[in-house]
Amino acid sequence: MDISQDYFSCYGLSCDFAVDSVALRQSHRQLQQQHHPDRFVSKSDSDQRRAVQITAYLNQAYATLSEPLKRGIYLLQLQGMDPLAPTNTQMPMDFLLQQIELRESLEEMSQAQDPETQMDSMSSRLQHQASQLESEFAQAYGSSNFEIAETSVRKLQFIVKLQQQLDALEGALLD
Amino acid sequence: MALLQIAEPGQSAKPHQRKLAVGIDLGTTHSLVASVRSGQAETLANSRGEHLLPSVVRYLADELPQVGIKAQAHLVDDAANTVMSVKRLMGRGIDDVKRLGESMPYLFEACDQGMPLINTVSGLKSPVQVSADILRALVQRGESSLGGELVGAVITVPAYFDDAQRQATKDAAQLAGIQVLRLLNEPTAAAVAYGLEQDQQEQGTIAVFDLGGGTFDISILRMEQGVFEVLATGGDSALGGDDFDHALAEWMRQERQIPAELGLAEQRFLLRLARAGKELLSDVCSTELSFDGWPGDATYADLELTRERMNLLLDPIIDKAVRATKRTLRDAKVALGDIARIVMVGGSTRSLRVQERVADLFQQPLLTDIDPDRVVALGAARQADVLAGNQSGEELLLLDVLPLSLGLETMGGLVERVIDRNTPIPVARAQEFTTYQDGQTAMAIHVLQGERELVQDCRSLSRFDLRGIPAMAAGAAKIRVTFQVDADGLLEVSARELTSGVAASVQVKPSYGLSDVQIADMIKASWTNVEDDRSARSLREQQVEADRLGEAITMALAEDGARLLTSQQQQVIENQMQRLVAARNGHDHHAIAKQIEEMAKASDAFAAMRMDDSIKLALAGKSIDQL
Repeated sequence: MDISQDYFSCYGLSCDFAVDSVALRQSHRQLQQQHHPDRFVSKSDSDQRRAVQITAYLNQAYATLSEPLKRGIYLLQLQGMDPLAPTNTQMPMDFLLQQIELRESLEEMSQAQDPETQMDSMSSRLQHQASQLESEFAQAYGSSNFEIAETSVRKLQFIVKLQQQLDALEGALLD
Repeated sequence: MALLQIAEPGQSAKPHQRKLAVGIDLGTTHSLVASVRSGQAETLANSRGEHLLPSVVRYLADELPQVGIKAQAHLVDDAANTVMSVKRLMGRGIDDVKRLGESMPYLFEACDQGMPLINTVSGLKSPVQVSADILRALVQRGESSLGGELVGAVITVPAYFDDAQRQATKDAAQLAGIQVLRLLNEPTAAAVAYGLEQDQQEQGTIAVFDLGGGTFDISILRMEQGVFEVLATGGDSALGGDDFDHALAEWMRQERQIPAELGLAEQRFLLRLARAGKELLSDVCSTELSFDGWPGDATYADLELTRERMNLLLDPIIDKAVRATKRTLRDAKVALGDIARIVMVGGSTRSLRVQERVADLFQQPLLTDIDPDRVVALGAARQADVLAGNQSGEELLLLDVLPLSLGLETMGGLVERVIDRNTPIPVARAQEFTTYQDGQTAMAIHVLQGERELVQDCRSLSRFDLRGIPAMAAGAAKIRVTFQVDADGLLEVSARELTSGVAASVQVKPSYGLSDVQIADMIKASWTNVEDDRSARSLREQQVEADRLGEAITMALAEDGARLLTSQQQQVIENQMQRLVAARNGHDHHAIAKQIEEMAKASDAFAAMRMDDSIKLALAGKSIDQL
């Protein structure tokens, strides 16, 4: 197992945003069955160390490819881009305004009369936006419009962060 | 069922070639050893037919230590030399142990690594040595039951055990001379004990509900094609059956208007009565609690305890476990309805009310056929059999997760997370850091475990220094710190300066740390103290920023103040500096932010002058083509 190859190649997938999650999980399982340290308990120290390295690589690969945001960032990195660079902060004004508005309604939500309904509606709004951005990204990346793809993935990162904050709020309110 | 099984030559081991391996549940109150024989996992008994080995060791002056029931008999008459509940001391420092207080009647001495040593007639004993003595007894039992030398053992640990506690457990096995095939999380072992993966049809999500005397663990696993994958693990390490007894005892006290200031003997009496009543109500609907033999002067009439009354008292405690379960389901991104099987572990799951409530929560029957005290050892035995290589073909595979997040200390006592909890292991992650001061040639690496944002609230695992960094401007050096966690959940950390290649690494071998209660608090507090953490974090961030700005301006004033500024201009900056320092030493991060801004304004012109000046200096004496 070559742990310097890209994550797509190790699962025999093409370098593409569209990933069959069931097939990915199955090949991940198969590779783990083969390379997990549990299979090398009676082998030499160096074989055991190698098994730890390979499995750590596989876990990282799976975590990257199974999440759309991480997958998108990784695809751009394979093109030599760095969508997360701290210098990379320009975003369209209308998108930023919309983010501010969403953030404000999130903050007000914890005091709302009926927070659950509001959280549900925001969650589906975010999900809708996320899937839109994902198809935007897929199209742009597929036609090698990497700048457009980069903007989509950075927008997606905003949405994913909001979704995480919403989840945390939901957790806190339901406890 | 096939009448005859014909194996391919070389594919399956012949019975006499079978490698002997055991699963060991090294418990707080008792321990067990189990093995797979003729395809069945079973716990192994001693010559008197006893399966549970009390986790008690008694040290004698000129003899080998006694382990188990023999030692337990001397808990009172030879308390100082008879060690119990040593699991609570594993991977702990002397300071933590002192906090356990009166429950530990031993003479402790600190050794140089800060590990507590117990002073016995047979010399100083570390918790690792005591655990090793228990392990030796279990291994001997295994070898005599199985009739041969063991190739190794799978030893179980609570899912919430941190790196220090895991390492101490592994050290104990090494001391006992047993090869550790794997450290396995107790709830994961319990899930495996039922052998659910052997049925080809069986797949789905499993919840393991583990309620012991003092701790509660909940794990969510997915099972698919012989693979058990832990999705999330959580719980409350200060919640258990002992809380039931205390709630019942408090109710009895109030019912009979017994004064709240109770002596030790009276407290013990009430707790014993509570436990007895609790156990009786498993069979009957109502019982009379008798205060005969009350150690105090007063006399109290019998008290009726009904099952309904008891349920009312237990429910608020069970509610906590239910909330922790829901939280862990959320972490696992699994809905209640997705759970296909519920495995019950731990003595406190014998309580009918607990079973009722859990079945009610998941809306389905529970798996309780295996003795909740033995289920962990049985699962460990199955895993030991697989790891020893006694099975062929598509084998059982367990994929576990990191129970508590790992991170590094950064400026201002903040923790930078490197690996989040519930990340599948083995895992390797690298993070890059830089120097804070000009000319810095060394960097202290402080490794932490826990969910909180401040260093002081997390468990310190290890400290080491990376030296020999070439002197560079602040922020120019690139230090990559790599964390690697293996399949036992044990951490190894290495650091490297990327421009020079200077390297340092450490196998995390901690020797001191927090108490169980603090671990519990670490987990619990991370859920409740998010707000506190946030404002504490903002405060620290502003303080670091204020220090950085203050330092830069002090240096600039020293270098160029007199040359570039009038004394009045210098005075303005110095006055603002005093206000900045005053705010920095306060607790209001808004105030610090404001003074930082003011400081920036006050020093803006000075900064511009220095910039111009340094360009002039740099340009002086150079020709155009040199630029």
